[in-house]
Amino acid sequence: MNARRFATVTAVSALAALALTGCGGGSPEAAADVSAAPEYAGTLSILTKFAGEPLEPYFEDLAAEYEALHPDVTVELIQETDQSIKDKTKTLTASGALPDIYFSWTGNWAENFVRGGLAADLTEVLGPDTEWGGSFGEASLDAFSYEGKYYGIPLYNNGKFMGYNKDVFEKAGVKVPTTFEELLSSCSAIREAGYEPIAFGNKDGWPGLHYLQQLFAYNVPGDKLSADFVPESATLDEPGYIKSLEQFKALVDECTDTGRGTNGVLYTTAQEALAGGKAAMYYQEVLEFDTVTAEGTQLKPEDFGIFPLPVPTGAAGDPGAIEGSPEGYLINGKSPRAALAVDFMKFATTAENASTLSAPPYGQPSAVVGAVTEDTSSAAVFEGIGRVNDASQLVIWLDTVTVPEVADAWLAGGEALISGDATPEEVLESVRNASAAAK
Amino acid sequence: MLLQQPSKTASGAGLVQPVPGRRRLRRPGARRDRSSSGRLSSVRLRSFAWVLPAVLLLGSFVYLPLLQNFAFSTLEWDIYSGRQTFIGGDNYVKLMQDPVFWSALGNNVLYAVISIAFQVFGAIVLAAMIEGIRSDRWRRALRAIYFIPSAISLTVAGLLFYFIYEPNLGMLNYVLETLGLAAWAQPWLGQESTAMLAVIAMSQWQGFGYSTLLFAVAIQRIPSELYEAAALDGIGPARRLFHITMPLVREMSGLMIIVTISGAFQVFNEVMVMTSGGPNNSTQVLGTWLYRNGFVRNDFGYAAAIATVIFVVTLGLALGQLYISRKRRVEW
Repeated sequence: MNARRFATVTAVSALAALALTGCGGGSPEAAADVSAAPEYAGTLSILTKFAGEPLEPYFEDLAAEYEALHPDVTVELIQETDQSIKDKTKTLTASGALPDIYFSWTGNWAENFVRGGLAADLTEVLGPDTEWGGSFGEASLDAFSYEGKYYGIPLYNNGKFMGYNKDVFEKAGVKVPTTFEELLSSCSAIREAGYEPIAFGNKDGWPGLHYLQQLFAYNVPGDKLSADFVPESATLDEPGYIKSLEQFKALVDECTDTGRGTNGVLYTTAQEALAGGKAAMYYQEVLEFDTVTAEGTQLKPEDFGIFPLPVPTGAAGDPGAIEGSPEGYLINGKSPRAALAVDFMKFATTAENASTLSAPPYGQPSAVVGAVTEDTSSAAVFEGIGRVNDASQLVIWLDTVTVPEVADAWLAGGEALISGDATPEEVLESVRNASAAAK
Repeated sequence: MLLQQPSKTASGAGLVQPVPGRRRLRRPGARRDRSSSGRLSSVRLRSFAWVLPAVLLLGSFVYLPLLQNFAFSTLEWDIYSGRQTFIGGDNYVKLMQDPVFWSALGNNVLYAVISIAFQVFGAIVLAAMIEGIRSDRWRRALRAIYFIPSAISLTVAGLLFYFIYEPNLGMLNYVLETLGLAAWAQPWLGQESTAMLAVIAMSQWQGFGYSTLLFAVAIQRIPSELYEAAALDGIGPARRLFHITMPLVREMSGLMIIVTISGAFQVFNEVMVMTSGGPNNSTQVLGTWLYRNGFVRNDFGYAAAIATVIFVVTLGLALGQLYISRKRRVEW
């Protein structure tokens, strides 16, 4: 093949491929009618984040009950884990095969689906003034609202707290710290008592972001922090960022046994260190409280306590902020069974099912008002949700509140900080660059 | 264990056949077909009919996706709205300016270099040693022992080594501490300086036995007279390895180099299981960087551009290696 012929063939092939792929927008489809009367027939597909024990049976039981109520309906469950659901959702989205109901985080994650027309506008059935909407806490509903419209059904609330072993604290003669500095100074006493002060595993990168985001909320004024999540308005020049990075590094070096090797430890290994009575503290979500004190673990529910990550002295941000946000489900905006999907989610959030979800072994504090009580939930979950409700503001997870490029830069920076391969200044500079490139 | 020339009785040794020369084979009666254009076209049509299913399958599942991938690399694709905007070569320009892309490419090259050292040259030496053992039972046992890691899936092996490398509970640091070498204990996967090498080391453990087995088969095909003549001339095992074994397994070496380099540029599973590309992107390889851009950063057009680079690099290397090995073909 001579050069001219080769060039021609290449050009034709490229054009053919372009034609096959097709440029332009997706095919316009009619918006889902969520307020229509549901037709109880057909297959309803649901993508959940409840794969694995102890959560997996929750949706399985719901599906079985719903199918028993409506024999012509088949519920098809796709259950994924916290890590795998990210890939699964994007693969299904890219291939135009998103299920009728699918899991979503708040922030930029959900906003992408809203922007792309893949999340049905539920205002008519879920707005705060509606009967169904009135059953949820208003803050939980607001977390899934964009430009005054409501898109997500908040299934449960969540927040991040330091879980601790009361027995170990007593043996080490340590009290619950009230400042970040006190937390750091308590670590040596705990270590002398023979325990790892704080168990921490950062293999996946995001656990480090949880520490950072809470420290940012403490050290950076709220309006500046919110502006910095959006690349178009971000300046990332508040001194609170450097302070937060330094505090995080100090915590890793002084309070974990793994130190600069923390990137090589699984999140669940750290969780097991607290549950197994080897570590005194472990920074965790409310959703994990019943797991670390589950039957068979060393840590008993009565020995388990929680406190928010203590506020650093002189912090310039909001000392009452807690990192966390509800997690919930969106209805596919292109689903022909949107009304049936709404009906299923109404069923999933009845007072009875909400209480079941909030109680052990699930321990997922429902966003339905009144579902989490001292009788239905464990003491720790009840206290955690009380603190979440009392927080001056909820700060969404750093890896879902901002655009993926910036979140990825924070993630890589956090890892480099832990391993000692970058200084706080270098980390912040790399994030600034990522934010500038994402504009 | 004594090293000696490969036994003639070893399986396959007696099956050595002369390699036919590169003579172009002609279908019997081809000249006669040309005299009748009707029969020729009928034969041709039948030939096309036989190969058509394979061509269609290959076209649909191999070549069309390749073209589509190239087309995607010229787009900015929003998976949420489905909007695709043609941006020409912008993704390739971005690629050139992306430091993580270059470090990922460097990691692939490092992977390839170390893999060739272990899985080609190391494997030849080991295979020659195994084939030089007198005892048939030992030879078989050693082949099996070295091959077993290859039977373990990469994901399982990755997970296994993740726990071996674990800084607090892992076996490697425990062994080092037990031997009084606590200072050598490292967070192997948790720091930039050791993470990539730790992943590559696992891969060598996993792939070494497979290539050793292939080389053992190739060595069995070498006529034992060559070794006998060399032994009579007083040539030692090392010189026999360099002057008889290595030249005569050149075809297998060429093939293994292609396979190893291609494998090194397609590496994905072990990195995902052990480090997910971290810490600080230090263990990113082209495959994982492609994945991260597509599935984490939602930049599928850029991910397609990385995929195109992987394809071009592996295709180029394979063609180059095929060309070289064809020119240096050994016959006996």
